[in-house]
Amino acid sequence: MSDAALRDPRIPAPVIDRPEDYLHVEQTLSSWFFTTDHKRIGILYLVSITGFFVIGAIAAGIVRLALVVPDGSILSNEVYNRMFTLHGVIMVWFFLVPSIPNTLGNFLLPLMIGAKDLAFPKINLLSWYVFVTASLFTLFVLLWGGVDTGWTFYTPLSTQYANGYVIAAVLGIIVVGYSSILTGLNFIVTVHKMRAPGMTWFRMPLFVWSLYATSLILVLATPVLTIALVLVFVDRAFGLGVFNPEQGGDPVLFQHLFWFYSHPVVYVMVLPGMGVMSELVTAYAYKKIFGYKFIAFSSLAIAVIGFFVWGHHMFYNGITQYSALTFSLMSFIVAVPSAIKVYNWAATIHKGQIRLDTPMLYAMGWIGLFVIGGVTGLMLASTALDGHVHDTYFVVAHFHYIMVGATVVAFLGGIHYWWPKMTGRLYSEPWGRVSALLMFIGFNMTFFPQYILGYMGMPRRYAVYPESYQVLNVLSSAGATILAAAYLFPMIYLVWSLWYGEKAGDNPWHAKGLEWTTTSPPPKHNFRKMPIVDFDPYDYSNEPPEE
Amino acid sequence: MSSTVGIELEEQYHDVEQQREAAKLGMWTFLLTELLLFSGLFVTALVLRVMHPDSVTAVALHLKFWIGATNTAILIVSSFIMSVAIELSRLGRQRPMAWCMLGTAAFGVLFLMLKGYEYYRDYVEHMTPFLSFRRYELVGDPASRLFTNLYFITTGLHAVHLIIGITLMLVMAWLASREGFLQKHQNRIEITGLYWHFIDLIWMIVFPTLYLLNR
Amino acid sequence: MSPELRQHLRTPVLTLFALLALLGVNVLLGIFFIGGHAWIAEGFVAATMVAIVIMFAMEAVKDAPITRLFAAIGFVWVLILFGLTMVDYVTR
Ligand SMILES: [Cu+2]
Repeated sequence: MSDAALRDPRIPAPVIDRPEDYLHVEQTLSSWFFTTDHKRIGILYLVSITGFFVIGAIAAGIVRLALVVPDGSILSNEVYNRMFTLHGVIMVWFFLVPSIPNTLGNFLLPLMIGAKDLAFPKINLLSWYVFVTASLFTLFVLLWGGVDTGWTFYTPLSTQYANGYVIAAVLGIIVVGYSSILTGLNFIVTVHKMRAPGMTWFRMPLFVWSLYATSLILVLATPVLTIALVLVFVDRAFGLGVFNPEQGGDPVLFQHLFWFYSHPVVYVMVLPGMGVMSELVTAYAYKKIFGYKFIAFSSLAIAVIGFFVWGHHMFYNGITQYSALTFSLMSFIVAVPSAIKVYNWAATIHKGQIRLDTPMLYAMGWIGLFVIGGVTGLMLASTALDGHVHDTYFVVAHFHYIMVGATVVAFLGGIHYWWPKMTGRLYSEPWGRVSALLMFIGFNMTFFPQYILGYMGMPRRYAVYPESYQVLNVLSSAGATILAAAYLFPMIYLVWSLWYGEKAGDNPWHAKGLEWTTTSPPPKHNFRKMPIVDFDPYDYSNEPPEE
Repeated sequence: MSSTVGIELEEQYHDVEQQREAAKLGMWTFLLTELLLFSGLFVTALVLRVMHPDSVTAVALHLKFWIGATNTAILIVSSFIMSVAIELSRLGRQRPMAWCMLGTAAFGVLFLMLKGYEYYRDYVEHMTPFLSFRRYELVGDPASRLFTNLYFITTGLHAVHLIIGITLMLVMAWLASREGFLQKHQNRIEITGLYWHFIDLIWMIVFPTLYLLNR
Repeated sequence: MSPELRQHLRTPVLTLFALLALLGVNVLLGIFFIGGHAWIAEGFVAATMVAIVIMFAMEAVKDAPITRLFAAIGFVWVLILFGLTMVDYVTR
């Protein structure tokens, strides 16, 4: 006699009590545009910054195309200037700054510390609206009227001489700064106040530490950019004059205020990437991280010391030698915590059970690119050498190794690693590996020649150059096409996987961390019951991962 | 704390204490950003003083010292009334608290009226170098224009913050005109109060920076 | 006025008088010492007023240490901005 036969037919069959995940709990359009769920806002950010990335990348492609010929016959000087300004402004403020914090950070921070949401979900949504409104406005301005000052808006070029819609562009960037501030504020309060029981500071994943350090920078640096741009705005609109040498003002003061923000903001781009690295390296070496506290505190050290170094952008712009010396010294010091991190990752990988899956390939590439970018940064931080390569392609190559080599590669690695958690689907592993390799090859081919060009003396921001530089420029442009393919492939196969990808389990990589203990995708409030944390982070036994 | 006072729990928090602390820390963090925003102007003022000490002094002696000082006193008093409002809110005395907030707003408006009069005096005395159609008093001293313009930007930005503060006061007083406001949202009063005190604090730096130190 | 309220208002009243007194000192300095080095004293008085507002009006003194830490961070960062900018301007 079976049990089924005995069931009273009036009692309905039991339903499996599986919570609706955050993607399916509501499906109307307004449930997305008025959501306060950090995971959905993360997705909204992901979609919008990907759009801006594509536009910025097209602008870069046009610049590289123009530089194939030395005589500037493809683009006029004016269009060329507008094009690299478009590229710089969009990539810095509408892609790189929000890239990892606002997508992966937004999605993962509450999951990683065992919270139901960020501390201020409505402010989180507000931050997205501020971002989208201001960035679309700025994009419109850049495309319609054009701005030719470069992303740095140096005075008195921007206040006295530049053509185009400087005032409107500056206004857009001022407003978009407030989306950074709101996000930073939200993250800081969340880390302080929303941790699950047992989630002590030293049990937090290192990605959370890096987001915390990033948020500190966003909160402390962005207002100074705001006021610097307000002064540019007022100067251009009403002739304020504090940056105008003709009236007794000082253009270098603008650079002080600007780089007080813009150097630390480089760490806003890099620190979250470092956080992603710490997660990837441990998961794919299947080993406890080496030197947890060193990595955690070096994030904070970078955030703090990063505020003492801004003058290294100004060695030859009119600051005094005493000032230059101070900034040079501090710039050498800030390299120490970054180096500590690299050593720790190397030690973590050493004797690990390494799996060379897509995210790990990105991570390995990251280390190489970051080391090159970092070491050339030290070269630029020494005042004597900087006199030779200041304002050349050497600088361009250096900061692309950091901003693309470190930020974009980490972003892509992180997106692949957490893709199953975000979408519940697996992407195609072979395509992933091919893209990661293409990225590394294409990137080096694009930017390594620029180091050589800069060292030979090719200045940045000119549409025309001597013919002797052409071979390396063509090589760089050819590399850019490979890089473009490396960006395009993931966009295609990741989107494809949304419908056709294999269903991912809760923890497809056998990784540790709270975010892998919930379902993929997670339910609306992340955990079905409040997690109690009684384990250390990166609690990998040295057993090989179960297959 | 009496039982008529409390806050309504939002879904992302476990308990009311967590919510209260989060809101307070959020406001402090926001005020950090405000401090750095203004400090960009203060550092500009200092640079101008180092570069053109005589021009800056000439402008400072033209500023309406007494109006600036009176306005400082007005904001100190307004902050005091705000503190009274906060204490009343903790005791659950919603009515008198709302009146205090209106009083705070009134002192804010008084500040703005005096400020407006000061701008008017500046206009009459030809201390508005950014108006191209108008003669400038210190025309023989071009560098003095910079500090005069900076004075307008700094006080203008402070006035914008004050207007936001007054609006918050009025909104809170209006919300508190309904019964039961303090049972649900007492901590909004605390948060608004922090912001108001901070506007006061900024003025305590603006007043010496512009009017006093350069005399 | 209930005794409970009176007790609650002790700190605000003291803060009010302290701030007004310090403002008075600064105004007197401003009237009687034009030029010279009075700015050192004036700056010191203004800094005291700011500290009083943070500690007593904004109640940082009663709050958790994190509040005082954040307030301190704000002023330390202002000092970084001033200090490193001024290294340039005072050596020109
Ligand atoms: Cu830098």
